[in-house]
Amino acid sequence: MAGRIRRMIDSVIQQRAAGNPMLEKILKTKMILKGVNPNKFTLESDDDPVVLEKLERMLRELK
Amino acid sequence: MNIVTACSTKNTVDEVVKDINEQLVLFDAKLVLYFASSKFEPDYISRKMQESFPGSAVFGCSTAGEIITGKMLDDSVVAMAFNAEAINDVKIEVVEDLKGDGGVKKAFASFEKHFGTSLSEMDSQKYVGIILVDGLSGAEEGLIETIGDLTNVVFIGGSAGDDLKFTDTHLYANGKSYSNSAILALLKPGTEFTFIKTQSFCDLGKTLEVTKADEVKRIVYEFNGKPAAVAYAEAVGTSVEDAAKRFMHNPVGLLVEDEPYVRSPQQIKENGSMAFYCGVGEGMELTLLESTNIIEDTRNAIKQAVEELGKVSAIINFNCILRTLELKQKNLTKEYGEVFSAIPTVGFSTYGEQYIGHINQTATMLVFK
Repeated sequence: MAGRIRRMIDSVIQQRAAGNPMLEKILKTKMILKGVNPNKFTLESDDDPVVLEKLERMLRELK
Repeated sequence: MNIVTACSTKNTVDEVVKDINEQLVLFDAKLVLYFASSKFEPDYISRKMQESFPGSAVFGCSTAGEIITGKMLDDSVVAMAFNAEAINDVKIEVVEDLKGDGGVKKAFASFEKHFGTSLSEMDSQKYVGIILVDGLSGAEEGLIETIGDLTNVVFIGGSAGDDLKFTDTHLYANGKSYSNSAILALLKPGTEFTFIKTQSFCDLGKTLEVTKADEVKRIVYEFNGKPAAVAYAEAVGTSVEDAAKRFMHNPVGLLVEDEPYVRSPQQIKENGSMAFYCGVGEGMELTLLESTNIIEDTRNAIKQAVEELGKVSAIINFNCILRTLELKQKNLTKEYGEVFSAIPTVGFSTYGEQYIGHINQTATMLVFK
């Protein structure tokens, strides 16, 4: 499987920033500090479970 | 004036608290934030400060040096008081369980009950958090990451110090002192606010990729597949034996849109690994940094904040102890203090700074319009 990380990054940003550019920047920074650089993942990137767990947490905690 | 400052360089807790109380006696403080030299007995100063302002929310921490409007100090207590127009509402929580996310979630539940709003939905332009952490706990990364996962509200702050003794640091709230803990304060300011994150470094364009590390222990074993000390020494152009001399001048940073989140090396271990002052994860691409001009960069950062807000009424400055040491080494503490001479300012020299993440060799500032 591939591309889940890219889709999840987009989903986190979309759900949490809701179009606010300042929040988008903060969220991307949070991801990079977690070791997940959004610029490095495409729809072809492998689904690394460690990275997915970090992103899932960012979504899960807001629900 | 809705925000005022006070400071005291007297010698005993009783004298200091009396002095600060007298400076603030005519001010109706809703919140008093203070930073105290570690020379003052922690339980006693916390109790006396709370008793001195019985109707106010009062919190603070021990330091490695203090900052007040226009001056950097040592062996003092500095305070900032806010009236109800400056801070409409505030809730302070102490997180005594720094392992796991239970402590933060408990604090957040209390915030939600107090403010009647879910932290996940709270407007990050109307609320702001202050975080003060035991500077020797090593727990800052997990704490700020959990906070960042739970809310969009920005928590900014610093790690408490103990005047470079590195034995114990203290947090002050509820008239008591705490160690191995964190204070989270959620504020609803009555005015606009913004943040400054300033570090005085330029990117030297040399990449050190972390290929083996223990993030929790803050140790990097390998950069670029080589022993960390060897790769670092090669990057700065010196020997492994002399590499530690370059730490302050040449830390490394994680670049986010060309802005470094600084990771400062602390020590070279016998096995060639390197200990850092904050966690560094495997796979991170760090860049070698070189120090620039702290005074000029700080002045520019404040100018930018003034331009953004139109005016600035107060600054809370969490300034890294390594920056303070560099300023002392270069005999520039007077000049640094003077950068803040026109704006009511309170702050301290920290053992780590927090803004979005845990960082080093940086000043993080909460700036009120």
